[in-house]
Amino acid sequence: MTLPDIETAGLSHRQLNFFLVVDCSGSMAGDKMASLNYALRAALPAMREAAADNPETRVMVRVLRFSTGAAWHVEPTPVEAVEWGDLQADGETHMGAALSLLAGALTPEGMPGRQLPPVVVLVSDGQPTDTFEDGLARLMASPYGRKAIRIAIAIGADADLDVLTRFIGHPEFRPLQAHNAESLVNRIKWATTAPVRSVSTPVTGATPMERLAQEAPAAPPPADAMVW
Amino acid sequence: MAVSQLREGTPFRLRASGLAGTVGALIGAGGQGAAYHASIGGKPFVLKWYHPHVLEADTRLPGRIARAVERGSPDPRFLWPIDLVEVSGREGLGHLMALRPPRFRGLRDLIAAPPARIDPPLVVRARTCLSLAESFLHLHAKGLCYQDINFGAVFIEPSSGEICICDNDNVDVNGAPASVYGTKKFMAPEIVRGERMPDAGTDLYSMAVMFFYVLHAWHPLEGRAEYEVALMDAEEEMRLYGTQPRFMFDPADASNGPVAGFHDAIVRRWRSLSEGVRRLFVQAFTAGLRPGPAGRVIETQWRAALARMADSILACPACGYEHALDAEDADPDPRRFACVACGAEVPLPPRLLLGRDAVVLCQGAQLHAHHLDPARPFVYGEPLARVEAHPADPAVTGLRNLTADTWTSRLPDGTGAAVPPGRTIRLVDGLEVDFGRRRGTVAAGQSPTR
Ligand SMILES: Nc1ncnc2c1ncn2[C@@H]1O[C@H](COP(=O)(O)OP(=O)(O)OP(=O)(O)O)[C@@H](O)[C@H]1O
Ligand SMILES: [Mg+2]
Repeated sequence: MTLPDIETAGLSHRQLNFFLVVDCSGSMAGDKMASLNYALRAALPAMREAAADNPETRVMVRVLRFSTGAAWHVEPTPVEAVEWGDLQADGETHMGAALSLLAGALTPEGMPGRQLPPVVVLVSDGQPTDTFEDGLARLMASPYGRKAIRIAIAIGADADLDVLTRFIGHPEFRPLQAHNAESLVNRIKWATTAPVRSVSTPVTGATPMERLAQEAPAAPPPADAMVW
Repeated sequence: MAVSQLREGTPFRLRASGLAGTVGALIGAGGQGAAYHASIGGKPFVLKWYHPHVLEADTRLPGRIARAVERGSPDPRFLWPIDLVEVSGREGLGHLMALRPPRFRGLRDLIAAPPARIDPPLVVRARTCLSLAESFLHLHAKGLCYQDINFGAVFIEPSSGEICICDNDNVDVNGAPASVYGTKKFMAPEIVRGERMPDAGTDLYSMAVMFFYVLHAWHPLEGRAEYEVALMDAEEEMRLYGTQPRFMFDPADASNGPVAGFHDAIVRRWRSLSEGVRRLFVQAFTAGLRPGPAGRVIETQWRAALARMADSILACPACGYEHALDAEDADPDPRRFACVACGAEVPLPPRLLLGRDAVVLCQGAQLHAHHLDPARPFVYGEPLARVEAHPADPAVTGLRNLTADTWTSRLPDGTGAAVPPGRTIRLVDGLEVDFGRRRGTVAAGQSPTR
């Protein structure tokens, strides 16, 4: 008998909410979707490990899919308990709708309790077919949206880098480009673990976003090297 | 990153000694490098091989490690660089160190969610801090500075409190340009504010944070002010840990005090600590929030207060909650002691008075060289005596002689008896025991009133 258990004693650690926003439009169908599902499955153990290395932080995961419309694929779940159900692809690219739905969750009500800045990872292979501007405006107007660490992964050569860059909204942080299945696995793994690790890694003087920008994986070979 | 990895079986050479070795399996990669098993003449070691971009950015690193090798380890608890490692035909650099035995667990596991959490008793926690204080005392006494004291660097053997300190890559001569700022929440406020770089003085601050964590599983500056921050962004962090740091138990400023119903477990633990240790925490996190020697608590102060606290710990007979004997206790009667957790009366246990020191003689309590040999203060190691129950009558307790020498003892009435090695002397009020180098007197405990 020693220290009463911190959790049962009513003490809770800060949460880090992790939002994965995934393009499930028709263009993702086939190999791309299969690779993405594989990459996300593979990222989970690494993400759990990163979370375990930061015991003062409780990592919560949510997944939002968008195609024709947007919907939650995984509701808030502790990272230890996430089980990956494969995403299917078909329909349009309603990225604006996805950001609007996301904006609704990036509020004190949507994220109750003591929080660290949330992390949003947006994955897309194409151009929005709805009004992206509206969604982005809502996201940036939401209380926690502006403070979120926003990361984007562009799959293949057709991804709209301009839109993804505006989503990130940071001068030094570019979208991560994945031109083949292996680089997608690496990008996803980095995006899902680096922000978690940055909570407790040695500080080098840069802001968290600058630090992530510095260590973000470098751009891969040109688009024609794409292999799906 | 894949490019920089060493293949298993790669031969390497130690720069100073010229010895040859072989790279073994990868243990893991960190921010600065990757650690590999390594073998030299069949003996196991660990090779840390630095990432090329780290060597490029941190140009002082090779010189730093070379100096560390040259100076030698300040204390055996550091997994110190033994030698620089070179691989022929390859750019880059590494260093060799001892392999951390698998019985050690990360100190971080003290705050991990169950089932990973380790939950050692208070006396082990106190000894862990004491051991850390000793290690850093020896490091600082050599004119060195650790720069990045944090949870990730320290490993603990959970049953004994034995420690080992890894990640010595940033250690440098105190005053040399620092290679890191430190780790969040462990950095001194002046570093958080960007006014200073790590030095031996900021090490002392980080060490105090670590001690508070080890004892409370909580950060000392996280009271009401932290509790009320819904989203901890960079500005709030700067305020709480940099520009407006306040101790949650600052006796003169309650603005960051504990929140009832939320911090209750932390308050209980705080109240159960010895007066001496609490006083040092107050100093470390009030005056010690500012740079300069006036506020920062030095290792020798910690060492004395922690050693005393470790000797004064007793458990509540009703709920088992552990306290230091002079813990803050609501009962105005100084002879009675109320448990800070459940309020039950805790009867005063028998104690061994050794000059100005007192050791609580609860069952299982052990005496070490620290207690019995004035020439070896703060030396624990093998126990020299242990409190045990009489085999036939568990209500009778005695002190067993675990040394190789015979003790002598004397009762207040003048009668005495020899206590040969392996034998046990019954604990009665006023009994005087001569341990050879030190003499102690037993003060009887108190049976519960009622
Ligand atoms: N001497 C050692 N014995 C056993 N394991 C070790 C030893 N040194 C390091 N390790 C392990 O190897 C892994 C990598 O260690 P390393 O020191 O390279 O990285 P780190 O501590 O995570 O980060 P950084 O590189 O920033 O110091 C960690 O899991 C660490 O616990
Ligand atoms: Mg390390």
